[in-house]
This record gives sequence, C-alpha cells and structure tokens, in this order.
Amino acid sequence: MAPLSSLYSFPEWLNILTALLIGTGFGFALEQAGFSSSRKLAGMFYGYDATVLKVFFTAAIVALIGSQFLSYFGLLNLNQVYVNEFYVTASIVGGIIMGAGFIMGGFCPGTGLCAMSIGKIDAMVFVAGGFAGAFLFTETYPMIEGLATANFRGPVKINEALGLSPGLFTFILVAAAAAMFWVAELAEKKFARPDITNDL
Amino acid sequence: MNIRKEFSVLLILLSLILVLLPLTANRSFTAQPEKLLTDVLNADASFTVDQVAEFIVREDPTVQLIDLRPAGEYRSQAIPGAVNIPYADFIRSDPEVWFGNRKVRNIFYSTGDTESDYALVYSRGLGYDNSYVMEGGLSEWVRTVINTKFTGERITARENALFETRRRAGEMFAELNSLPDSLKTKYLESKKFSAKKLDGGCE
Repeated sequence: MAPLSSLYSFPEWLNILTALLIGTGFGFALEQAGFSSSRKLAGMFYGYDATVLKVFFTAAIVALIGSQFLSYFGLLNLNQVYVNEFYVTASIVGGIIMGAGFIMGGFCPGTGLCAMSIGKIDAMVFVAGGFAGAFLFTETYPMIEGLATANFRGPVKINEALGLSPGLFTFILVAAAAAMFWVAELAEKKFARPDITNDL
Repeated sequence: MNIRKEFSVLLILLSLILVLLPLTANRSFTAQPEKLLTDVLNADASFTVDQVAEFIVREDPTVQLIDLRPAGEYRSQAIPGAVNIPYADFIRSDPEVWFGNRKVRNIFYSTGDTESDYALVYSRGLGYDNSYVMEGGLSEWVRTVINTKFTGERITARENALFETRRRAGEMFAELNSLPDSLKTKYLESKKFSAKKLDGGCE
C-alpha cells in the first residue's frame, strides 16, 4: 500500500493482508481471463491472439490516467509513488532473457504461478525454472555486477526525459495504444488459427 | 460501436482532458542518491546562525528564510523576515510555488535540525539547488545570537564585528517578538508568501 502506508503507519499484518487480497484478486482476474493458457500467451508472439497486449496495456493506461486524475484532485501524492530505477544495459539483457523464457515456457512469471495453482504440470516446471534462475543470478552476481549496474539512469520518467508535460505524454501514449490495438486486431485476423483459438 | 471502441474513445477523451490540466505536482525525485547525499552533507548547503544573522542585519534581498515549524510556534516567536511554511504543508505542496525564483537562496530552519534537513533533502532531490539550511535551527540561534555575551578584557576587530551583528540581529528579533499581538499579526500577514512576489513580476 505504498502511497498510503508512507503517510500513515499501518501494522505489518495489515500491509501483508492487503497485499494478499490484491494478489488474490489479480490472480483470479488473470485465470478467469484465460491467462493460465500458454497457447493464449504464445498467441501474442505468433500474432493469432493479442489479448495479452490489449489487457496489460489497457491496465497500464487506465492506471496512468486514473493516477493523474487522483493526483489532480489531491487524493494521491505522485511524488511518493515509487518509480522504478532504470538500468539501461540490464533492462535490455534482462528483457531478451525474459522474452526468450516467455516464449519457450509459454508463461510470464505471474501467469506461471496462476497456471501452477490450477495444477498445470508444465507451469510447475516453469516456476521451478524461474527459481533456479533467481538462484543462479544471486550466486553469480559478483561476476555480473558490472553488467547489472551499468548505465544507471536513476528513477527517470519518460515524459521528463523527453521534456513533455505528463498530460501530453499520457495522451500520446493512449493514442498510440489505441492505434496498436487496431493493428493487433488486424494481425489477429491475418494470422488467425481457428484450431487453437476455438479451444480457448 | 462495440464496447471496445467505446472504451478506447473514452480513454482518449480522458487523456485529452489531462493534456489541458496543469499537472506540475508530478515532478519526480530525480537526483542520484550518492550525489544528493554528498550535496546535502556538503558545508555549502548550510549556513551558520552567524551568517544568517548577517543576512538579516543587512536585509539581504537574495535570501529567504523559511520557518518550518507549526503556525502557532511561528506566531509566538520567529526570526525577522522569515515566512512560515509548516513542514507538513511543505512536503505536500508543489515546491515550484516556493522556489520558482532560482536567484533567491531559501534557508530552512526548524526548532532543531531534523525537519530542516528533511526539507533540504526533499527540495534538493527535486532539483532546487537554491535551498539551504540554518545549522542547529532556532535553538542554536537563541543560544548563539540571542544569548551572546562578551567576556574578557580586550576585543579584536573581528570579534567586535561579529558581536555587533549578533547584537543587532538580537535586537531585531526581540523587537519583532515583543510587538503586541495585533501589530505582530499585521506584520506577519504582510510577510505571507505570495507566489507572485517570488516570480519577481514587477520588481
């Protein structure tokens, strides 16, 4: 409960309980949207199903618009919201590894847990692989520390780096997202795989 | 139109409204931790009470004292020329209002060092390098400037100048804080921070 718990001190159990409730809701939404199927997730890569793109991007822009309105009405202090720190090299290398793992395993970390909890064996192997990767990363960290911390840019926001106002950047991003959804739906028609999608 | 298109249009319209809203409060904490730490720990980021006393006596226009204590404490005792922005209000507001004019050096003080140091980190972290602290806060001010006493036989020129400044600043401090309540309120009202004044509009 980041913006709230930095203003008021909540007891530890309440923080954890909130995290549990939000996490349960998130998992439920993922599962009922069909995200525990690796065929649906891989559809993004092959072009026959762009649900992943549409869902996650919509979530992102709704949160973006919502948080700025809340901030404008004084209900949320965006200065106290954590901004991820940007390590350029690590983001590129990590993105490639994550993407390769995603398409090979058929899940992303969150949907992997989701699929594991409904008893999919491939997802259990996938999650075990994730833990093995985390273990390897930690054990070899002294060797790759230079790479992991290279080109540190701090908690930079894209609109500030571009010199745009937050409102204008939001508008451009939303317009771009709408255009992207349109292209994605064209792709869905072009690369349609009725044999797979009908099952989903 | 199907629901997806309606939803897309709704989002685009909402973001169009955002373009038109002034969203200046969303500035982020861009400083790199190591640099920020060296900056605020550097002696350049703070003034001693004697330096502040000199600013007050000279009525230096490039300096703005900011009192971070609650409004009540400020009303009962304050350094002449200081404006009151209680710490709780300060961290909630957009600092651009206070620090818009980069030529003015803003010096924070609180009862001790805690809040002024927090405010220094906060404002420097947001890129306002024109912010400083008064070391030791108001308690140090009272100890050094107000309760100054000269003991000894001879006084050097430098000591004399320092002592003079402290005495003069002490007088101004006493003058302000012994005003009757009505006059004092009037004086403090006239000192209220106005963003326009900081912008330097017609000066």
